[in-house]
Amino acid sequence: MAPRVVVIGLASDFGCQVQMTNIEDHLLEVLGLIDLTYWQLASSGHMPDEYDVAIVEGAATTQEHLDLLRRVRETAGVVIAIGSCAVTGGISAIANAAGIEEGFALVYGERGRVALGRVAPASVVSVIDVDYIVPGCPIDTDEFLHVLSRALHGLRDKTPRQPMCFACKTRENVCFFEKGQLCLGVVTRSGCHARCVTLGRPCTGCRGIAPEANLPAARIVFEDHGFDAERALSYISLYNTNEEVVL
Amino acid sequence: MALLTVEHVARIEGHGTISVEVENGEVRDITMDVVEPARFFESMVVGRRFDEVPLITSRICGICSPNHALTSVKAVEAALGIEVSERTTLMRKLLVYASYLQNHATHLYVFAAPDFVGLPSVFPLAETHPEVVERALRIKKLGNDLTALVGGRPVHPVTAVIGGFTKEPDPWQLGIFADMLREVATDVAETVSLFSAFPVPDFSTTGDMLALRDDKDYAIFDGETVSLEGGWRRPAAEYREFIREEIVAHSNAKHSTVDGRTFMVGSLPRLNISSDLLTPRAKDCLRAARIGIASRNTFHNNVCQAVELVDASERCAGYIEDLLDMGGDTTPVPYAIRAGDGVGASEAPRGTLYHSYSIDDDGLVSDGDVITPTAQNLANLEADMRAFAPTVTDLPREEFLLAIEQLVRAYDPCLSCSVH
Repeated sequence: MAPRVVVIGLASDFGCQVQMTNIEDHLLEVLGLIDLTYWQLASSGHMPDEYDVAIVEGAATTQEHLDLLRRVRETAGVVIAIGSCAVTGGISAIANAAGIEEGFALVYGERGRVALGRVAPASVVSVIDVDYIVPGCPIDTDEFLHVLSRALHGLRDKTPRQPMCFACKTRENVCFFEKGQLCLGVVTRSGCHARCVTLGRPCTGCRGIAPEANLPAARIVFEDHGFDAERALSYISLYNTNEEVVL
Repeated sequence: MALLTVEHVARIEGHGTISVEVENGEVRDITMDVVEPARFFESMVVGRRFDEVPLITSRICGICSPNHALTSVKAVEAALGIEVSERTTLMRKLLVYASYLQNHATHLYVFAAPDFVGLPSVFPLAETHPEVVERALRIKKLGNDLTALVGGRPVHPVTAVIGGFTKEPDPWQLGIFADMLREVATDVAETVSLFSAFPVPDFSTTGDMLALRDDKDYAIFDGETVSLEGGWRRPAAEYREFIREEIVAHSNAKHSTVDGRTFMVGSLPRLNISSDLLTPRAKDCLRAARIGIASRNTFHNNVCQAVELVDASERCAGYIEDLLDMGGDTTPVPYAIRAGDGVGASEAPRGTLYHSYSIDDDGLVSDGDVITPTAQNLANLEADMRAFAPTVTDLPREEFLLAIEQLVRAYDPCLSCSVH
């Protein structure tokens, strides 16, 4: 029997789910491998009680999300967290920097009947154990297919652990620090083929801090090029507000 | 009294619930409850550097991200007094309009079409009508690939930054896309035929219609705000003066009015306001669709999206020809940081999008405001639901709710945008 798959969207911009629909060339093949039982974005129907694989996008920002995630973990054999919001809290977590209640007051004033049950935005990874991650903002369609395929075959997670700089070097890009610009490739998890840097824009750190990043050494690189730790940490906080990063 | 609900309405972007109160067979009240959680973007940007704003606010929506990215870029540029090159403006138009191909194709075929053939999703059509699904995927993929060519990837453009572009596509690649855009002509024309053949209820929207109008070009990335019913035209930068936003108790998204009336934005209002500027083939398709030149039927928004697919494919091919001919440079222009306020406006696939920011002497954002198309549409959508529901109360419960859902989907709402 084909594995029953559900796709769940928490608080997000749906960009990663859009990237999932962007597998045009392989869409029909993938649909042949799985039993896609719930995907609110693409199909009518209710979330089933039983399923094998849960793909979760977005950050948990309500009590309902937290409860749902715990149920998902109990039900699904495999949980795949996709996108920065689900993996590190991503852009969604920036709201924590100013404070959720302050953000609420700024956007809605003091009126209290909307956005009920709100909690501080949290990544899926910080709420439940997940089996696979697909980092990035948005996810890369090919990487998603690769991870989904590994999940369906029961192979272990092989998300790269090195910083992006390694990949950037193999693409023969001129280092942004040489041009006087701040780039987060030195601390950010690899796996994106240095896409942004190759396109001429410094890394913004969307894939989260690389587990093997040498943060004290990165601090020296930042400082040697005129960016103090405060400036670097502020930039790093774009996608890592919820993560404890010590340079 | 009975309460009917459709929780987490399917095939729309974001999470919303339709609630209908029925008493003695009569609809007493009907609401669209946006349960999609708010993310407080306007608070997120406060205190951040000006050049981080487009990165952050583009994440309001992964579906029309080129619009959010570039509209916030425009707002920041207005605040800092940055003038970009003509070539940069043209490249930006190409990037935004390319994303229409992806957006409209997805909404029409993946979200809306299943309603008209009585299916829960588009997936079963892959077996019964493979030619339709393949056509949908061809249009969507072309939009994605062109967005990726210009912006670096289909979702959240990389290259479009303050002042210009960090990298331009190779001319020979652009040329190939001009050819592909011409080749998709049959597919987009057939899309108009398909959607104009689907029967829709006879219905008139309750509110006004607003869209940007640019007398030189079909308004995508420039223009002034026009009110169809009000007969006025104002600089988009004054949007905070003419659009009134209100908090409503049942929804995380605010409701908007102009001149005390609800209003609609999107493809139908755009065509009503600028159909004289459509490309020749798009004009032919609009005539053939026989929806009437000044339709007020919300359900025709789908056909209008299809007409815009025709326009986008023809116009983007023209933009590419111009880019190949004109020369010029898109390298980001140099600029100085200064204090200022700026507004950016554009037509996103779902309607007019406004961003505004205040920047202080250090280049830090002190205030931000965003009004998305769906946030503008929601009050009108509810008013339409209230007007439409009594006309379909004779239907069995499931069909009644489906009819309401179809009305909701005709707006192509993006609830994640609406709450931001």
